[in-house]
Amino acid sequence: MNIGWYLAVSALVFCIGAAGVLTRRNPVVILLCLELMLNAGNLALIGFARMWGNSQGQVFAMIVMVVAACEVTIGLGLIVAIYRRRLPIDVDELRELQG
Amino acid sequence: MSVALAAARLHGPHIDWGGLSPILALLGGAVVVLLVGLAPRREVRRLVASGLALVAFAAALGCTIWQWDASKSIVSGALRVDDLALAVNLILVSAGAATVLLSWRARASGEAGHGEFYALVLTSTAGMSVLVAAQNTVSLFLGIELLSIPLYVLCATELHRSPSLESGLKYLVIGSVGSATLLYGLAMIYGATGSTDFDAIASAIASGGLASDPLLLTGIALVVVGLAFKSSVAPFHQWTPDVYEGAPTPITTFMAVATKAAALGIFLRFFDVALVSAQVSWAPALAALATISIVVGNVGALGQSSLKRLLAYSAVAQAGYLLAGVVVSTRAGARATVFYLAVYLLMNLAAFAVVVARERETGLGDDIAAVEGLGASRPWLAWPMTIAMLSLAGIPATAGFVGKLFLIQASADGGYTWLGVVIVVGSMVSLAYYLRVVAAMWMRPGPSLGATEAASPYPAIAGGSPEADPDAIGTSTPAAPPAGDGGPGAGAREGFQPEVVGLALAAGAATVFFGIVPSPLVDLARAAGNSLLGLF
Repeated sequence: MNIGWYLAVSALVFCIGAAGVLTRRNPVVILLCLELMLNAGNLALIGFARMWGNSQGQVFAMIVMVVAACEVTIGLGLIVAIYRRRLPIDVDELRELQG
Repeated sequence: MSVALAAARLHGPHIDWGGLSPILALLGGAVVVLLVGLAPRREVRRLVASGLALVAFAAALGCTIWQWDASKSIVSGALRVDDLALAVNLILVSAGAATVLLSWRARASGEAGHGEFYALVLTSTAGMSVLVAAQNTVSLFLGIELLSIPLYVLCATELHRSPSLESGLKYLVIGSVGSATLLYGLAMIYGATGSTDFDAIASAIASGGLASDPLLLTGIALVVVGLAFKSSVAPFHQWTPDVYEGAPTPITTFMAVATKAAALGIFLRFFDVALVSAQVSWAPALAALATISIVVGNVGALGQSSLKRLLAYSAVAQAGYLLAGVVVSTRAGARATVFYLAVYLLMNLAAFAVVVARERETGLGDDIAAVEGLGASRPWLAWPMTIAMLSLAGIPATAGFVGKLFLIQASADGGYTWLGVVIVVGSMVSLAYYLRVVAAMWMRPGPSLGATEAASPYPAIAGGSPEADPDAIGTSTPAAPPAGDGGPGAGAREGFQPEVVGLALAAGAATVFFGIVPSPLVDLARAAGNSLLGLF
């Protein structure tokens, strides 16, 4: 199968993730969309690794998975901390810092 | 069988402990500090954790100096230990040690737990060390994430203060978008060249005539965007003022100086090693970004009344100046960027140390009113701030002037004379807001602290800036704390803070010293620039 199809899917997933980050207001959903963006990168990496026939892209993708997990952990921790302070869980409401 | 096993054991991978030692010192320090955080008594935790963090930074500094003049690839080509990595490492480690000193009395470290706080600072610095030594897109991405993830937490460590939490979440979301964009760009570059190694990418571009390959160009564009997010280059800077203002001030200091040094270090290495033969494609784009950054930063800073926001916009502008050295892709450019990074560390440390000190002394937060009248009441704090402001603006006899001179010289020699002109014009505009701070310190009556100074008898001549007057008059009631959650520094009036004042004085003195005798820093920068072997 042509590498172009894999790239098309990965670009689509990346764009869905970017659009979600820009339009969604719930930070949990934003974290989900960030995962989509990272995984789009993973898909492209694995497609290219297959195309070039070397393993560097696959190793990269594995490391990205670990990093993505760390990011989500920190993100969820922050959301819990914000929730405990009874701040609104809505990024449009977090507007104390502006100007 | 047993012989075969023994033989297998003998052929372990070669580990260059010396080359790894600065990173190992930082990470080992992080583990030890984290364990000390379990100590039963609070005072022990505070003193021992910060003391051990300082020891770890000193050890990393020692290892970096020990490795000086090395030029080798370690971890099977993933990291490169050369003078560029080591010079930026010196800047990073000094910034980390200064952060520990500034956090000594901060509330953030107490609220988050001293062990965790200092361990995160150490881990983040280790991530920066990995980043500036990265010689492979995998270690580049790993370094970026290892420096960013601890910073997301550190921004949010003042748990009682909602702006701190807000800045942590904002930084996490925007930083992760930047990382994801960077990753996608790195994937594209891998797709175009078939390798993740910088040298292999460079030879693939040079031999395959890929300089105008659409896949590679898309990748480069996405990488530029991702790195611009990290180094707060406009138009990807929107998070900078918000996060700088919301984060605890010692962490703001760390982000301002160390993150910038690491991001510019990898800009130099990635663009001047891996993508050097595609320079005609990326240099105009980076020059445009540098120009936008200089304009946006300097104009944005003009209207700010918060010192941290002012310094954040100034950081955006300074990122533009620093990029000029990357754009030209010459050794002179790399030298100028490394020199300016070292100078940038000194100037910003002096400025931020004064902000930290006044934040704790006055209860006015980081508003510009907090430094009013500082020249009369606390000259030992006013002088470093004045020097820092003049140096950031590029006044002669300060190190900032010498740094800007090298950057302009490099851009003129590299065929980007107009960028040099933009730097000069930007510096002129920047005088407007830097001198506003200096004027507030020396030309206005200070806010009376307690009963020692009753309300100023001359409130009407408090200066031309109307927003400052209410504070000058109503000094007995400090600015209302935002969001009714205690406010920044409310009730946190500290007296004498020798480590903060000492740091401000040392950084200010060094700024003047290197402005008059720049040769030690020039030697450092020259060694760093010469380690980029593909340049002229």
